[in-house]
Order: sequence, then C-alpha cells, then structure tokens
Amino acid sequence: MWKTEAGAVAHAETAVKQCLPPCQIKCPINEDIQRTNVLISLLPDETDAAREGILQIGDYLYEKNPLFNICGYICGICELECNYNKKGGAIRRRLLKRFLSDVYTEHLKERDELEINRDKENVAVVGGGPGGLMCAYHLSKKGYRVTVIEATERLGGALWLVPDYRLPKDILQTTLENLVRIVGVDVRYNTRLGTGKLTLEKLKSEGYKAVFLGTGLPYPRVLTFEGKLVEGQDLSGVMYGHTYLYEVSHNNITGQYFKGKKVIVTGGGNVAFDVGRSARRQGADVTVVCLEREDKDHRDGIPADEEEIRGAWEEGIRIVYSRGVNEIDGQNGKFKGIHCPSCVSVFDKTGFNPKFDTTDCIDLSGDVLIITVGQAPDRPLLEKENLLDERGRIAIDHLTLQSLNKPWVFIGGDVRRVGFMIEAMGEGMEAAESIDRYLRGVDMKSGRRRDYEGYEIPVRRDYKPEPEVLWIPPENRMHFQMFETGLTLREAIDEAKRCVTCGPCVSCKACVSIGFQKSLSPVEVDVTRCSGCGHCVYVCNYYSAHLVNNDGKITSATDMFKCKSCGMCVVACPSQARKMVDDDTVERINKVCESLA
Amino acid sequence: MTENKPKIVCFSCKFGWGYLTDEAILSKQIENWVPIICTGKIDTTHIMTAFKQGADGVLILACPEGDCHYQDGNFEAKKRVHLLGELLKSMGIEKGRIRIEFGTDPEGKRIPQIIKEMSQDLAKLGSSKTSTLAAKKPAKEMIKVKGGK
Repeated sequence: MWKTEAGAVAHAETAVKQCLPPCQIKCPINEDIQRTNVLISLLPDETDAAREGILQIGDYLYEKNPLFNICGYICGICELECNYNKKGGAIRRRLLKRFLSDVYTEHLKERDELEINRDKENVAVVGGGPGGLMCAYHLSKKGYRVTVIEATERLGGALWLVPDYRLPKDILQTTLENLVRIVGVDVRYNTRLGTGKLTLEKLKSEGYKAVFLGTGLPYPRVLTFEGKLVEGQDLSGVMYGHTYLYEVSHNNITGQYFKGKKVIVTGGGNVAFDVGRSARRQGADVTVVCLEREDKDHRDGIPADEEEIRGAWEEGIRIVYSRGVNEIDGQNGKFKGIHCPSCVSVFDKTGFNPKFDTTDCIDLSGDVLIITVGQAPDRPLLEKENLLDERGRIAIDHLTLQSLNKPWVFIGGDVRRVGFMIEAMGEGMEAAESIDRYLRGVDMKSGRRRDYEGYEIPVRRDYKPEPEVLWIPPENRMHFQMFETGLTLREAIDEAKRCVTCGPCVSCKACVSIGFQKSLSPVEVDVTRCSGCGHCVYVCNYYSAHLVNNDGKITSATDMFKCKSCGMCVVACPSQARKMVDDDTVERINKVCESLA
Repeated sequence: MTENKPKIVCFSCKFGWGYLTDEAILSKQIENWVPIICTGKIDTTHIMTAFKQGADGVLILACPEGDCHYQDGNFEAKKRVHLLGELLKSMGIEKGRIRIEFGTDPEGKRIPQIIKEMSQDLAKLGSSKTSTLAAKKPAKEMIKVKGGK
C-alpha cells in the first residue's frame, strides 16, 4: 500500500491569479478534489486493505475541512461546475466523499486530540453552526484559545434541520462531537447572545480579543404578498417549515403525524422540499406551491436541487409552479385553503420582486399549510449590538468579513447572506484568517482577493457515462432512513477513475505524494531544434503545447500551468526539441537495457 | 539467467500495474522491469534500444483502454506498437517480439506470469536477430520512419 508523503502537499498558491480545476473553484473552501479523486482511484480493491488508504485521504481532507463527511451527504456543489457535465454527467464527488465518510466517521472516534500549543489570544465564536465551527477549528489550529458560544443545547445549527433521510443524525452527532474534541475547542451551551447580560462588549471584557458572529437565520420568514403580510398565519393548521423541521429533528413530531391530512407547502427552495418530503413520510398528501418556474435554467427557475425535485416527484408530491399566495382561508380559526394567483415574473433588475396576475387565480384546499419561504436573522440583536448600517444592512467589509462598526467583530455565514453549508464554512475559514491577521496586526487584505482560472475538459477518445445513483424505490422509502445507496469500494474506484483530472498538477500532486514521480518535470523546448511542425500540439490532450510566433519563426511552447508532464509531446517530437527537465525515465530505461548485455 | 531463456524488457504503466506494492520488492521479482508514468511516454527509440542491447522481446503493460490517467497515452502506445511491429516484420523480425497488454494489476502479482508466458512464446521463435539490428540498420533511419515525414 502506498503512503502519501507530507512533503508533497498540494498547494493553493496565494498568488493573485490561481489556476484550479473548475470543481475546486466552485467549492468555497477550494477543497483538493482532484488530488483526492486520484488517490481514491488508486485504492486497493479489497475493503480491509483499502481502509488504510481511505484514512490517509480522510486525514488529508480533514486538515482543511473537518466537516467533509457531512459534505458527503448534503453538499456536492462542486458537481455543478464539473467539466464532465458536458460529456455525460458530472463526477459524483459527493458520493465519493460519502464513501470516504462511511469509513472515516467511525475512525473519528479513535482519533487523538491534536497537539497544539495554544499560546495565542482568546477568541469567541458566537454560534456553533458550520460557519462558526469552521472558524473555531482553524483558529484553534493556529494556536488561539477558542470558545464557542452556542445558544442551544447542541452544536450544528441549521444542519439539524436537514432530514434524517438525507443526513443521518448519528453521522452529524459523531462529526460535531469529535470536531470540538480533536481540535480542543471549548463550548458554552445554552448561552444566547443578547439574553441576560451577554453582549459583545461583555465578551470583550471577559478577555476575548476578537469575536466571530455566525448566528445564522434562527427565525422563519413570514408570508407576504406585494409587500404586505398575508393574514391568517395565526390560524390553527398553519406553521412554518423551519419550526416543523426543528420539531421533527427533536423528535417532537414523529410517526404518522399527518396521516390522512392534506398538507400544502409554500416555497421553492431545498428547505421547502425537505419539509414536503418529511411531511410525506409522516403520512401527508403533499402539494408544494412555488413562485418559480419549472425550467431551472430560466432566470425565474426553481432554486431547489434537481435531485430534490425528482425525489419529491417520485414520492408522489405534487408541485404547482409559478403561483404565489395572496390569501389564506380559515374557518372557525382553522386553516382551510389558499388563493394562488399566477406569478408572471420573480426576479427583475432590482432582484427578488415577484409580479402577479391576480385575474388568473386558483384555490387550493388543505388541512395544513407549512410556510417555507426563507429564514430571517435576529435583527433586534444585530441592531442592539450596533452592527447594522443606516440602511439596515450588516455593516461589514465583504472581503475580510470585519464589522465596520466594531473592528474586533467578524461576521459570516447565513446571517450575512443565506447560502449552502459549505458557503458558511468558507466564510468561517475566511474569518479565521481575518481574525489571525487582525490580532497579529498585519495587513488585512493583501493577497486575498483571488482571481481563479478554470480549465477545459482534456481531449480524449471516449468519455464515460455517469454511474446510476441508486435510490430505494419510493414505495419503500416512506421512512427517515437514508434512501440513497452509497458507492461500494469498486464503484468508488471506478468513479474516481472517471475523473479526467482537468486541473493543473501543482494544485494536485497526488502522483508525487505517493511516489509515482519524484517531481513534476517541466517540459522545455529547444527553439533552435523546433521546426514548428505542430506534432506536439496535436498529441497534447491538455492544450498545453501550442505554437508561438517568435519574430517570424513559428516554434512550439508549453503552458506550464496546463502541462501534466505526461511526456507524450516529447515522444511525438520528430526533432527531439522537447525535453523533460529532471526526469529520470530515459536513464532508467538505459540502465535496464545496458544490463541485458 | 540460462542461455536459452529469452530476455524480455517490461515497461508498465504506474497507474495500472503494481502500484500497491513497494517498487523495490517487485523489481526483485521482475527482471528488466521499467515502471513508467504513462505508456504513451515510451518512445520507439526506447524499444529499439532494448532490442539493440540484446532483448529478445519487449512487453508493454498498459492500463485498460479508456482508463488512461493522461487520457489516451495507452492508445498512443498501442498505435506505436502496431506500427513498430510492422516495421520489424519488414526487417525480418517477428512481430511477436513486441507485445502490449491492457489491464490492471495493482499488486503486480500477475506481471511475472505474463512475462513467463511471453517468454515461452519467444522460446518457440528461437533466438532473436534483433541484437544485430544496430549493425544492419542505423537507429537514426528508424526515427525518420517513425516521424512519418
């Protein structure tokens, strides 16, 4: 079994311009996707033997992303940018990570605490969601003494609202518990900023030199129509999706709670689908009503993931597209139904600004209405803490996440801008960097604004179709167990092999780390020998070899960012003008040949 | 090595063959073995050098078709082996002295067996005339043929 060497760590340059594979650009924390895909593809085809390799890959991912095993269940935004999308289907990176997670999560329990010399300042992280935890993890690793101030009795924040059929609770629990243990972060549970005497100033006076505020969006957003509150949200039978998922996750709403009930869910985001599919599993007949259109590519397309929509559809959930809600009907204080005018447009130049045609209206009757149109921050808290600007927005530097009103406070995650889990984590990581710079007194901004350049898919003769993802049939899926089957070891190896590794070698170095190559040998062109015939351009699958005009003489050149050091251009060159620097291949061949005599 | 045992130089793709076993251990079991990052990197001159130095056969173990880490390096090797085989034939050297196999064997256990099989086939062909190649045809001319210009 190979061993990855610490010396060959993939390196995300802090240069202004950085070349990465498109998946890594899409990932807010630029996870080393390509490198770990290559390593997965080289795992032994036998479960026990593969374990050692899986743990090595897991340890590597954990360095940067201590929540990677959760990403393996619910993230996968990298797949949206995968070059393979155009060739038959993105590499199933999420499932590859879930495959690692299924071994690594158990291993977390056995991992030792990190040995860190914590000689730096005290920092408080308010909010133990993914953003806060990521910030705490990276600060603690840098040697800060970090305390997480958590309002509830458990860490994880909004992650607990993800239904069990997508993210099993034991995976979440194990990951969170071990994260704070491994990296040595203190947690104060049931401590809510803004209640009692706990304020940011109080934290400062307690000796915390900087604070990360990642309090998320703890409140559901109410239903409005053309700027006005829709009456009837206090009726019995009307609830908010956020509240519903919270109660389900706390086992307060269990079993066939909605048996025989008609449930209407308003909203078109992933949370609305979590609500609808959970209610379906609790016995309801579910209809989802959303403003957006069915066509996801349209400006007004539905924001929920395609997999969510497909899952809901399979499970017998009706989706009513392009409809708003302008009235809620009730009788004797009980919910009866809604009026739904057609929505002609959702977004305009100003952003979200839905327009309706009230002459085209349908009525939907039901027993329960679950409003899932978004969440809201704790605005009074932000106001009281003087973190807003005169227009009521969070006053913040968007690069450094530093508060403009309180320079020792850094704000990130959903509270700043609602997004995916990994986006909050990315901000937590950025904030950790900012806090470190702030407390070290160094420049807050230099070298941080990066401009990424992606890569095209390499040329090859055949592209392979994506593997089929196995879901339990809908009729057997009406429970909260996982419905998606993970990859087997063989499937994971094959899927990782399908990755065409379109990014540059410097940000990967998988082959160097396991000793396939001593280093990445650059290709040199001897222009005095080069005739500009272009054989190398033809043979290069990465658009690296190209022709340039040197004062009238056409010669070939190598784009070092794109070169994979495969050596095919060297072989193809009829004039021996191309040569790999520091490459011992020819030497090794000659040595063997000489020994024949 | 006994007198009648054919000498085979074996090139193998690192992404397909023997990558789970320590190279130092495996090279004790496999004579004249050159693991290489991609079979597309094997130059025709490398193969001819082997023959000139007295090899009776050259075996290239490539990764499965469609699985090349560098996209199509194994296909490049396949083309090269085919063309070179034709060239050798025209020079009176048996085509079977150069062989390419596509497959994967992470532990490299099968490599000695494959060499043994090729060895048996080569034994039937008798001793090779390839070592006299250098005297008959200068390698440079061959490079020209390869370049196709």
